[in-house]
Amino acid sequence: MADKSPNSNSMQREINSLYGRHRIESTPLTLSILVLEDFCAATATKTRVKVYRLNEDGKWDDQGTGHVTVDYLERSEDLGLYVIDEEDNETLLLHRISSDDIYRKQEDTIISWRDPEFSTELALSFQETTGDHICSLQRTMQFSSLARGHWRGNKFILDMSDHDMSDQEEGELNISCAYYRRIYIPLFLLIDETFHNINSELKLPPVELSTLPLILKIVESGIADQLRVTELILHDILVGANLSEAYWSCSKIFRKLMELFRICDDLENVDGLHLIFKIVRGIILLNSPPIFEKIFGDELIMDIMGCLEYDPEVPQADHRNFLKEHVVFKEAIPIKDPVVLSKIHQTYRIGYLKDVILPRALDEGVVANFNSIIHSNNAIVVSLLKDDSTFIKELFARMKSPTTSVESKKTLFSVLNSMKVHFLHEFCTLSKSLQMVHQHRLFRDLVSEGIFDIIADVLQSEDKKLMLTGTDILVLFQNLDSNFLRSYVTRQDGVLFGLLVKNMLTDFGDDMHWQFVEIIRSLLDPLTPGSQRESIVEIFHEKHLGQLIDVITSSCPQNSDGQMDSNSVSSDGGSRSQSSVKPEILLNICDLLCFCVLQHPYRIKCNFLLNNVIDKVLYLTRRREKYLVVAAIRFMRALVSRSDEHLMNHLVKNNLFQPIIDAFVANGHRYNLLNSAVLDLVEYIRQENKKVLLRYLVDTFWDQLAKFESISSIHALKVKYEQSLESMDTTNTGSLLDQRKRLDERALEKEEEDYFNEDSFKRGDRAKKVTTVSKGLKPRGVFAALCSTLSETVLPSKKVATTALNNNPSNVNQNSIEPNVEEKGSIGSSKNAEIEDDNDKEEASRSFTDGLDDSADNMMHGDECSLFPPKSSPEMVVNGS
Amino acid sequence: MSDLDRQIEQLKRCEPLTESEVKALCLKAMEILVEESNVQRVDAPVTICGDIHGQFYDMKELFKVGGDCPKTNYLFLGDFVDRGFYSVETFLLLLALKVRYPDRITLIRGNHESRQITQVYGFYDECLRKYGSVNVWRYCTDIFDYLSLSALIENKVFCVHGGLSPAISTLDQIRTIDRKQEVPHDGAMCDLLWSDPEDIVDGWGLSPRGAGFLFGGSVVSSFNHSNNIDYICRAHQLVMEGYKWMFNNQIVTVWSAPNYCYRCGNIAAILELNENLGRDFRVFEAAPEESRGPPTKKPPPDYFL
Repeated sequence: MADKSPNSNSMQREINSLYGRHRIESTPLTLSILVLEDFCAATATKTRVKVYRLNEDGKWDDQGTGHVTVDYLERSEDLGLYVIDEEDNETLLLHRISSDDIYRKQEDTIISWRDPEFSTELALSFQETTGDHICSLQRTMQFSSLARGHWRGNKFILDMSDHDMSDQEEGELNISCAYYRRIYIPLFLLIDETFHNINSELKLPPVELSTLPLILKIVESGIADQLRVTELILHDILVGANLSEAYWSCSKIFRKLMELFRICDDLENVDGLHLIFKIVRGIILLNSPPIFEKIFGDELIMDIMGCLEYDPEVPQADHRNFLKEHVVFKEAIPIKDPVVLSKIHQTYRIGYLKDVILPRALDEGVVANFNSIIHSNNAIVVSLLKDDSTFIKELFARMKSPTTSVESKKTLFSVLNSMKVHFLHEFCTLSKSLQMVHQHRLFRDLVSEGIFDIIADVLQSEDKKLMLTGTDILVLFQNLDSNFLRSYVTRQDGVLFGLLVKNMLTDFGDDMHWQFVEIIRSLLDPLTPGSQRESIVEIFHEKHLGQLIDVITSSCPQNSDGQMDSNSVSSDGGSRSQSSVKPEILLNICDLLCFCVLQHPYRIKCNFLLNNVIDKVLYLTRRREKYLVVAAIRFMRALVSRSDEHLMNHLVKNNLFQPIIDAFVANGHRYNLLNSAVLDLVEYIRQENKKVLLRYLVDTFWDQLAKFESISSIHALKVKYEQSLESMDTTNTGSLLDQRKRLDERALEKEEEDYFNEDSFKRGDRAKKVTTVSKGLKPRGVFAALCSTLSETVLPSKKVATTALNNNPSNVNQNSIEPNVEEKGSIGSSKNAEIEDDNDKEEASRSFTDGLDDSADNMMHGDECSLFPPKSSPEMVVNGS
Repeated sequence: MSDLDRQIEQLKRCEPLTESEVKALCLKAMEILVEESNVQRVDAPVTICGDIHGQFYDMKELFKVGGDCPKTNYLFLGDFVDRGFYSVETFLLLLALKVRYPDRITLIRGNHESRQITQVYGFYDECLRKYGSVNVWRYCTDIFDYLSLSALIENKVFCVHGGLSPAISTLDQIRTIDRKQEVPHDGAMCDLLWSDPEDIVDGWGLSPRGAGFLFGGSVVSSFNHSNNIDYICRAHQLVMEGYKWMFNNQIVTVWSAPNYCYRCGNIAAILELNENLGRDFRVFEAAPEESRGPPTKKPPPDYFL
């Protein structure tokens, strides 16, 4: 095998020693070095060619006869073709091999090209036929222009530094030895015909029991011989195919090998069987698609599986028995097309070979070829079946129940049709192998045949596994295009949607059933395009929100001391026990509600404010499971991030932070996720300067929070609170002087902003110097602090307030370390604060209609809602380590 | 023997759990992890381990060298999954040990413990291949959100997967992160999991990884000084010798995936700290059998197409 040859091994060692540093760095080497070393090692004599050159009269001048070799051009990493005169050893031709598409094949023995350096047409005429190998020259050349890299283990790592990959470790591209072999061997054959000739002496001996060791040796020999073996086998297959007699229909080699196998199998000749196993494995590792086509054909495949039962290193397996007797090929509707049937079985068997029999023996190249056979088989099967209109019609006709009573549907599904649903699932899954446009067309056809009606029936069945299979089909549709399901849901007025919600709330026992909430979310997601989304959002909020809230209220203790209220009655009239709903379902509900808060700002306003919804969701803080308490805090965090004044006032008016603060206080000084989640919420309120909440929190809860003042976020909240009180005072006594001061401050802030817009990473140092100056000053920003220091000299009246707000070293630190982000944030907020201060008096008289401006507000704050990050980030996806 | 002990034994043989077992395990783990802090306190003696990346048999070598849990107290610095052939078994074994011995093993989050990254680097595909659905991936990635972000050993050794963040100058600032979320694309939480120390950078530099930062010796000095810690221990970068000190012994990288990706030829290390925080690096090599390629899997019992 190539990767085991001494050359590549020593190369690998050398490279390992080269990159023995903490970062992997590609060591550029041209692949050609390896090609040449193997090539030189394997060849003793040279290929005879005639060199021709096109003269000005348009005639080919014979330049002489010589031997062609490939070698590096002097002082260059480029490859050249050398032709050395056979008589005087002068160089007849030195041609820099080009990666451009300039080579042409003329007849079987001539290559010609327009040589850019000689500015004329040149041609090489080979003494012996070059066959099809010339074609691969261009391919090879083009590849070699890209192929710089190094060996790592038995993989060739392409150096991608020219390809804009920022992280080499991640940008690596692996090429297995098999791939390397496939691409490069043709070069040998072209360049040195003699090499070919020597090895053409190599013949496979007649397949006999006695020759098996020899055959194995040839099959497992070096790469050059392997190529020859591949050729011999292919030739054998071709001859077999050309002779139409039944006797020859299978290739001679395989026919004889299988005959031998059966004899050995009957006689339990273990040695022979082990040899045959290795030969068959070796032939598979030749990785030749035409050979695969032969040995995975209906005629041979079971015998091949038989041969592979005798791996000398593992106990004997019984693959044939498994494939024939144990694995079940299920037919929902009988498939009549023999081609389809044959492909279906072949796909399963190749998968079995790949995953069960030989997973450790196969290299990446073989696996890649197996996968591509499986992929194309899937595509063929799906498209043949989809174009068979009678097949699809029959499938659906049988599934549509003759009666409409719910009872009969249930029984019908549990018995007859469940298999067809499972079939549909597999059918839809495999359709991923189709081109997108064909898959789209197929799904559209399935929709018009009524697949969603079927799934709606499935979702009412009692068979949980079947329901999940039906749901998986919906997920496949959603992944392709959510408009299929949306328009269906809208058309039939949300019946299917209701079933999804119902199932989301159903206990599936040990089975996982996150799919329901996933489908619901994707139907409600405003980021996916589609016209009917609004009506679905409406259906959800009108019909199902109450349902979800009821589940929460009926699953949580009614009073905050954790006791179930014996009088608790849910809106559907019955009282439920607390344990009726599993905690993971409550978690799903809460996550879905957070999603709605962030995505449906208008809806939540009417629904959440009118019906006390927020209060009820916060019942979750009374649950024993801490992750549910944390989920409720996250819900509050989502609400606050809406920056909706109306909503904030509602929170204050109804004292909705009470359960949050209670949970926080009850958690005590334990530093856990609950603690961090509340502190994150408090930090957010402080940093965003949400004045209403700030005052509400400190005014209402400071008695409870005071004992946590050692936590810097809680302390900072108090400081911010006092600051806001103070700024209110200054506004009330606002004077001309103050206004002038503010103008001055703004001018300074402009400078400050410009400074931080400087695009330099060294500014940390400067910022740090500033910090040392400003230590013990206002925490809202280093420069703002400096400003106030300056203004103090002008404005003694300001002094008291400034010093009162000074002791928060951790905040000053934070600002100094990340000037870019933190500073700007606080500059922005302090500006806002001032603008708000100016308007403070008007604020009181503002009507609630102002809340309508929220949409703009929400847009501005949209990117701060990081609870649900976008699904993909191109940079990070490329660069994972 | 309890179900959990049985599952641990099964996972030690590299046999994955069923979907419903995974679901139950994850729910239990959630209750434990939610009680942990963003800077989880860890007592010495403890053995610190770097990236594992699904190299299950190599992790067994690690346990051979370091001793079994719970006898040895372990701290794993993240990147349990992706790249290797056995991410499922590796992560589930660690998680089962966590649920069984919550005080004897600490798992913190690496940049690969993320929905996005696992969809590209193997864990997602492995779950799909081994279970035929992505359910297990869903549950595991939900658990990733609960993993702690860092650890602090005896107030003296700060442990994190990637490195420092310009937004974090004191350990106290890590406290206000609500970590239950997908790893964000920027900000403190992202940086802790993605950043790298770099010789040539003074202060902060852009990271070629596209997330996190590069940080130089002065940043480490001032961080260690202001938090009164001896040194930082982190993982995240392959080091051929298994561990590597930088910046005058102020930060050390520990890497615990020998012959990374089954081809890098590196050795691996774990860092044992005794009760006095005395250090002993233990190096180990890859398990022999794993170089042979992907595991066999059970064939599906039936098929339609």
